[in-house]
Amino acid sequence: MDEKDREILQMLQGSFPLDSEPYRVIGDKLWLDEVSVISRIARMIESGAIRYLGPFFDSRKLGYKGCLAAMHVVPEQVESAAAAMDQFSEITHNYLRDGKPNLWFTVIAPTQERRDEIFATIKKATGVDEIMIFPSKKFFKVKVDLD
Amino acid sequence: MDTKTRQVLSELQDGFKLETRPFKRIANQVGCSEEEVLEIIKRSREEGLIRRIGAAVRPGHLGHTANALVVWQVAEDRIDEVGAALAEMREISHCYERECPPNWPYNLFTMIHARSEEELDQLIADIFQRFSLGQYKVLRTVKELKKTSMRYFEDAAK
Repeated sequence: MDEKDREILQMLQGSFPLDSEPYRVIGDKLWLDEVSVISRIARMIESGAIRYLGPFFDSRKLGYKGCLAAMHVVPEQVESAAAAMDQFSEITHNYLRDGKPNLWFTVIAPTQERRDEIFATIKKATGVDEIMIFPSKKFFKVKVDLD
Repeated sequence: MDTKTRQVLSELQDGFKLETRPFKRIANQVGCSEEEVLEIIKRSREEGLIRRIGAAVRPGHLGHTANALVVWQVAEDRIDEVGAALAEMREISHCYERECPPNWPYNLFTMIHARSEEELDQLIADIFQRFSLGQYKVLRTVKELKKTSMRYFEDAAK
């Protein structure tokens, strides 16, 4: 990643131009032509530096309930637990952490019933009997460039 | 939300295509004009349905290799002060007060990113001292098992 890539990234993390030719607008600001902007972004997506480029929705405003949850599994169980969670598109993030509990994940579901259904399936698949939930009470920060 | 808005937002959730007129493609798919698509996006942002438009970057690619979920026990009457101060720190990406189960005393959740394990330890120690906090717990990230975007509007008319 060179200096120009970093400049593009900086612009993409701020606000994407809502223009019929957005990549040309970005190029005009950085002294690059549109094709270079597009190919540089494509390369950053390919290398994994950019995970996604598009709109980020507010799940609450769309009527979904998001929640952080955690459970504890023994090392041999990690893989099967991860597989059980992979089948649900409602589980968007899942991290193995040290400490207890060690599996931390986020669930975004349209209803409480759906969330309970997902939890029940995971418990059954893993044999874990407790899933702790941590609903957010007050939001202080989500830093966008690390999102 | 009207049907056209749902359709446009649904098409957009896979991200923007890398082509000269990405919104024109959406317009063609949904059957409206490019201007209408841009209008719907702008309106959705004003209404807060879209919280931001741009790129999601993988933290590791910015040189942050050590990160941890650090949870703190903060007295109810100090949560605003401590939460706001921690939100100011550039090493902290997420900061929330959360409701907790009875056996869990830590109510302030932070994601801290550092360039090394030593730097991470130092940051945590600094925060602990600066605010004279109670107990805390460090849950280092061992492995990212899943990181995707939620699929919304799955029932949107296609």
